Amino acid sequence: MKKTRLYRIYFAVLATLVLAGCGGGVGAPENEPVQGGKVVVDFPADTLRQKLIEQKTPGVDANTTVFGYKAYKIVYETEDETGALVHASGLMVVPTDRGVRAEDARKLAYMRQKGFSLVSDSHGTIFADKEAPTAVAEATLAPAGSPILLSALAGFVTLQADYIGFGTSADRYHPYLLKHSSMEATVDFIHAARKFAKKNNIPLNSQLYLTGYSEGGYVALAALQELEQEENVTFAAPMAGPYMMDQMALGVVAQDKIPIPSFIADVAYSYALSYEHNVSELLREPYASEASTLFDGRYTRPQIDERLPKVTEELFTRSAIDGVLRQDPSYWFYGALQLNSTAYWAPKTPTRLLQCLGDDVIPYAMTAGTVNVMKNLFKAPDVEAVPVEVAYTGDSNTTLRLGHAACAGPAYLVVTRMMAEIRKKTIGY
Amino acid sequence: MQKNWIIGSILLAATLEAGGYKIPEQSLDGMALGAAHIAHTTGADSAYYNPANMAFLDPKTRYLEGALNVVHLPSNDFDGVQIFPPSTVVPASASSEREWAAFPTMQYVHSAQGRWRWGVSLAAPAGMTKRWNSPVQKTFAEKFYLLTAELNPSLAYRVSDTFAVAAGLRLLYSEGEVNSDGVVNGIRIARQMKGDTVAAGYNLALAWHPGSGVEVGVTYRSKVKLNEEGEANLYLGGVGRQYHAKVSVPVPAALNVGVAKTFDDRLTVELVWERTFWSAYKTLDFRYDTPIPPALVPIFDDPKLKDWQDSDTFRLGLTYRWDERLTLMAGYAYDETPIPARTLSYELPDSDGHIFSAGFRYRQNEHLEWGLAVLYDHKTKRTIAPGENINGIVGSFDKGGAFLTTVGFAYRF
Repeated sequence: MKKTRLYRIYFAVLATLVLAGCGGGVGAPENEPVQGGKVVVDFPADTLRQKLIEQKTPGVDANTTVFGYKAYKIVYETEDETGALVHASGLMVVPTDRGVRAEDARKLAYMRQKGFSLVSDSHGTIFADKEAPTAVAEATLAPAGSPILLSALAGFVTLQADYIGFGTSADRYHPYLLKHSSMEATVDFIHAARKFAKKNNIPLNSQLYLTGYSEGGYVALAALQELEQEENVTFAAPMAGPYMMDQMALGVVAQDKIPIPSFIADVAYSYALSYEHNVSELLREPYASEASTLFDGRYTRPQIDERLPKVTEELFTRSAIDGVLRQDPSYWFYGALQLNSTAYWAPKTPTRLLQCLGDDVIPYAMTAGTVNVMKNLFKAPDVEAVPVEVAYTGDSNTTLRLGHAACAGPAYLVVTRMMAEIRKKTIGY
Repeated sequence: MQKNWIIGSILLAATLEAGGYKIPEQSLDGMALGAAHIAHTTGADSAYYNPANMAFLDPKTRYLEGALNVVHLPSNDFDGVQIFPPSTVVPASASSEREWAAFPTMQYVHSAQGRWRWGVSLAAPAGMTKRWNSPVQKTFAEKFYLLTAELNPSLAYRVSDTFAVAAGLRLLYSEGEVNSDGVVNGIRIARQMKGDTVAAGYNLALAWHPGSGVEVGVTYRSKVKLNEEGEANLYLGGVGRQYHAKVSVPVPAALNVGVAKTFDDRLTVELVWERTFWSAYKTLDFRYDTPIPPALVPIFDDPKLKDWQDSDTFRLGLTYRWDERLTLMAGYAYDETPIPARTLSYELPDSDGHIFSAGFRYRQNEHLEWGLAVLYDHKTKRTIAPGENINGIVGSFDKGGAFLTTVGFAYRF
């Protein structure tokens, strides 16, 4: 009896010791609480300036005004092509005084007093979930892309919707270059961001600027058309977008080869899903069957391009090629391309369409043609094309030519400068 | 909270009184003799120090022993500078935080079953803690601790009247915490990680008692790889994100060879050579379930070179039986650090040590003994020359070391 009791005591002590250690985690990270979203980046100005100098960013030196960079992830409601409710996400970047110099702190205080101007900057084509603005911010915890220019250097509040199919709605397909959902995702995000700003004491003035590059240029123009029905947009500057989808498709299928097949294949895939047609009506097998995998958000563009043929007739069905070449609006795909074009209307807002003359993916003629249609056919009062190389160098005779990817940086520099000048004239800073 | 208190007060083997983070002192006698306690073990702590000696204990008696060890770690003083890449030199003279901790140990040896005999020990064979609140040091090691608790059942076999062997199973529970919080290139970079694990190893022992008061003992404790797994919060600027993280640290293998000679049944002198195979500790490599922010990769993700070296410890223990009731003990050890100057870091600024210990046991009655032991580990001053250390440390570490006090009892029945 005595023996048994001793054993029990001994092993009870051992068990206590072993079990005592099980558990006791580190707890959730202690991040700043905000209402209606979460902080995903909070980066000091001095470190950002140092990094920009190290990266030899044009125009940035030790004396450049740089603000702190705070990014919020906001989840909001929007709707897809069918009108169904979707919980989408977007990134809102706000300039802060974290790590700023004294003179920049004074500038920022004045800007806060006047309110920040809002820029909706729609991002270009992405295929992988990890490339979405909120995903990049959450993965790096650091500033990235055009908001550095727009917010940290120019002092705008920048909005980047992830779009349906990325971020919070990554479980859905991305309605690529489809007007309704592109427009809704952007406009609804602007509304959600304004509410978020109000709740969290981020002062905004009434100004709204729209821009975006490539797919983002297309989305910005789509959003402008919707927004003009409800408010005065300050200025719109879409960049290098495929505004005339019908003409773009015509240009692609008229060629024997497609250098980057992922873009047009994704158009075919998302149009087929949105218009409830079989993908195999547009894409040949096995690509029609593989499309749902290729475009499920796991793969980047180079990975997708590796899996697709570069010969037009190997990628597209004969009927799709013929239907587009006929330019027959009764053919559902061509009709859809026309309907989803964002070129055929007249913006009231002062609008500048920026594009590089040397663009190798979307020809400059797309911008020139869109401006021509808007001005001459629809009588738009204030729409102009801006060749980026000319605006960037200030030389109307420049021989500089930049391709689609290389053009993005200079294009954002030019558009930021344009928007800052308008703000200076109207708001006073 | 209660769990944390239990861990902190019971399992906390927060000592650095031996090179690296091993803790050889696991009983009253072990503490009093500075772990010069391999060949001549006469109580329940044979189960830990040399389980082969269990075979030579009185076969009909059961032995139980327990001890409470109280540890005080004085602060480490650092006088020098820290170099941040590529060439920023920051004054970094500072002192680490003082630590107090306590941990229990227990051993039991059952009565013999023929030539066989089993025993079990509960020990804390490894542990470390270091906290810095100074700006530079907390960037690397605001808090660094490793706790272990080992359940170690062993089985001895008496081969002859003079020779016995034993083998045992090492079952380790371990918990680790790593915090760092500092400003690098103007931006806050911080980490909070907690993890735990259960791991296993083995131990082997032999005892040879050739007569004339001579005893020889050899023990080997295998390496146990602690694959700590838990959650890590990583911060860049004002935002943190949680990751599932893993990190592996070894409790190194150790070989002990002890020779003891007892004179006139009163004085026992024991010499022990311990070889600890710290070369198993090559890198400290944190791994995460998803990629961490690129800006944090060089600091928190890239493997940190450790490249520790196998180390030797030489121990001398004296046991003097004053009378039938009182036994006096004393020890000295020279303990080499396994950490090369090249990879020394603030989390464990170790140096060679001189360990002094003393204690006594008092027989209260036929069954019960109790006693007290103290140990002082004096760490030598260590200077890191410019260009010598890959972590950018230039300067001298001084003080540190440890004071330990053990109160123990032994019960025979």
